[in-house]
Amino acid sequence: MANKTILSIKNASYRYSDADSNDYALKDISFDFEEGKMYAIRGRSGSGKTTLLSLISGLERCSEGQIIFDGKDLKDINLDKYRNSDIGIVFQSYNLLPFMSASENIILSMDVNGLKIADKKKKAIELMEKVGLKEEYADRKVLRLSGGEQQRVAIARSLSYNPKMIIADEPTGNLDKQTEKEILDIFEKLAHEEGKCVIIVTHSANVCAKADKVFDLKKHN
Amino acid sequence: MYILKNAWISIKRNKGRNILIGIIILIIACAATVTLAIKNTARDLINSYKSAYDKEVTIGFNRENLMKDFNPGQEENREEMKDRFQNIGNYTISDVEKFADSKYIESYYYTYSINLNGNSIDKAEIEVEDNRFGRKDNQSNYDFTVTGYNSMDAMSEFITGTYQISEIVDNAWDVAFDGNYVFINKELADYNNLKLNDKITLEDDDGNTYQFEILGIFEEKESEDNMSMFSNSVNTIVTNSSAVNDITNSNENIQGNVRPTFIIDNYDNVEKLQEEFYSKGLDSNYILQTNEDLAMSGTSSIKNINSFSTTFLIITLIIGGIVLFVINMINIRERKYEIGVLRTIGISKFELTLQFVCELVIVALISLSLGAGIGAVSSKSISNNLLENEISNSQEKTEEIGRNFGKEGRVGGDFKGKGMPVVQAYTSIDAVVDVKVLVELLGIGLSLVLVSSIASMVSIQRFSPLTILKERS
Repeated sequence: MANKTILSIKNASYRYSDADSNDYALKDISFDFEEGKMYAIRGRSGSGKTTLLSLISGLERCSEGQIIFDGKDLKDINLDKYRNSDIGIVFQSYNLLPFMSASENIILSMDVNGLKIADKKKKAIELMEKVGLKEEYADRKVLRLSGGEQQRVAIARSLSYNPKMIIADEPTGNLDKQTEKEILDIFEKLAHEEGKCVIIVTHSANVCAKADKVFDLKKHN
Repeated sequence: MYILKNAWISIKRNKGRNILIGIIILIIACAATVTLAIKNTARDLINSYKSAYDKEVTIGFNRENLMKDFNPGQEENREEMKDRFQNIGNYTISDVEKFADSKYIESYYYTYSINLNGNSIDKAEIEVEDNRFGRKDNQSNYDFTVTGYNSMDAMSEFITGTYQISEIVDNAWDVAFDGNYVFINKELADYNNLKLNDKITLEDDDGNTYQFEILGIFEEKESEDNMSMFSNSVNTIVTNSSAVNDITNSNENIQGNVRPTFIIDNYDNVEKLQEEFYSKGLDSNYILQTNEDLAMSGTSSIKNINSFSTTFLIITLIIGGIVLFVINMINIRERKYEIGVLRTIGISKFELTLQFVCELVIVALISLSLGAGIGAVSSKSISNNLLENEISNSQEKTEEIGRNFGKEGRVGGDFKGKGMPVVQAYTSIDAVVDVKVLVELLGIGLSLVLVSSIASMVSIQRFSPLTILKERS
């Protein structure tokens, strides 16, 4: 039985505001993403991977077409709320706040979401343990963590408000093979065991191998 | 709530920059506190000057109107002007009482003057025909001008120091306004060999006599006519208005001259009051005149200090605002990455702006509190130094009025003797940093912080998080 479609991209195109009328960064894209599956989006440099990610994550709005999340067009919803409630974003360069500890980064995300739980630190530590980080890392400034550890913190942060969808931009791009495997295992678990939709933009063959479905993006023109 | 928490974390994290911002705001707060305290004090002083002089209105000729079409070269025209002046309607004490019954008038007083001849005393006069200056002393048809005052407030010559008591009987002012008592010029006393408690008799044209007892002897200071043997007031006899009124009531042939002064609530109401007087029968050739210029004449130095303080504050605010603006812009540029991350995890532009504003406001409030404290401590001595002249002037003025009325020694504090004019005396000026100053300081400080951060707040709105994070990558 097919899983529920959580995100649909329908004939989406994107053109930068200062570009010519026919100069699309992304042209006429249509994809469907289901809950409980891990997707890989691959493509050569300039094919529009990051642009697609920014459209899916609500950091940009598509110029034409639609992106439907859980039955609602992204054009019609508050994208800040969408980003701090419905989806979690993981970046290649982690994008953690360096002056905060691992747990503070996670708690900040809970705060932005407005999560009301008594002990946010305890929850943060649980999330860290879920992605393979020991409790002792909780109070450590993120700059004192390795790349793999930082990426785990970033994944834990993205899970802090239990979103339905995780979007990752080259999450293993800066990691060694072993760490890459461990991180991919986390994503796989999130998809297959927790029923989240995981979308990973990647160059990595290992990621594509693990994914339930791979979309290829080709450069327009 | 997390916005405040984040703001506080950022303040602690960026200590250097926030201390710099804090110092700038502290300097501005100190300057603003002192300036506002001085301005408040100056405002109080100006108000004090106004209240010391009272808001007086007197009735005078409308010369501009009367002299219209006057051509001194034409004899006929001169006669016409003379008629015009002679036909101006007079007003009596009962008219004055009628005028004074107005919602604009708080109180009033008047002088009532008549002319009488000497009976038991002689007019002080030395007849010198064709003297070398070609002039004669005293050319009046009567010997004496008897001027009755209805209160001490009306005794403007004593208040201004033109007349000054040199001898006075004990408790003279307790009885001076009720009964046949007089104050006479020292020259007249010497001329007639009179002393305190002596009785003098005057008479009118019909031979009726009026007896008065001498309560005090005054001297005229700085007589306008220094080429005369005697001072101008030598044959002026000062009494109370009821005594003069009794004389005019007893003989209707005696024409009295009433000069009222009305104390009004507000100078802005003078025109309305004038219309009311006309409707009550005042001749339209009279107009109402105020003492506003006189009341404000002593405040020029205070006004200068006030305007200097304002200029100083404005310059401080402009320079401080520019420095804060630059620091804020640098702040935003340095924190672009943080902004990008926060936007990516879903903080709205508004919340982000609010966080930055909160950071500034927290630093500003701490600095403003410190600045208000330092300013409060220093403002009193600074104000007192700047306004030193005003303090000594006000003290001298109080003492001088006391002396003019024959009250020896300094009259300290509020000079409110029996029926005495009210003059505020300052021993120091309390440039108090009160709630009003604190509210003004808070308003100025926060406005400055917000205005200087507008550009940086606008730039937050324009940042694209993806672009910022790409640059970082």
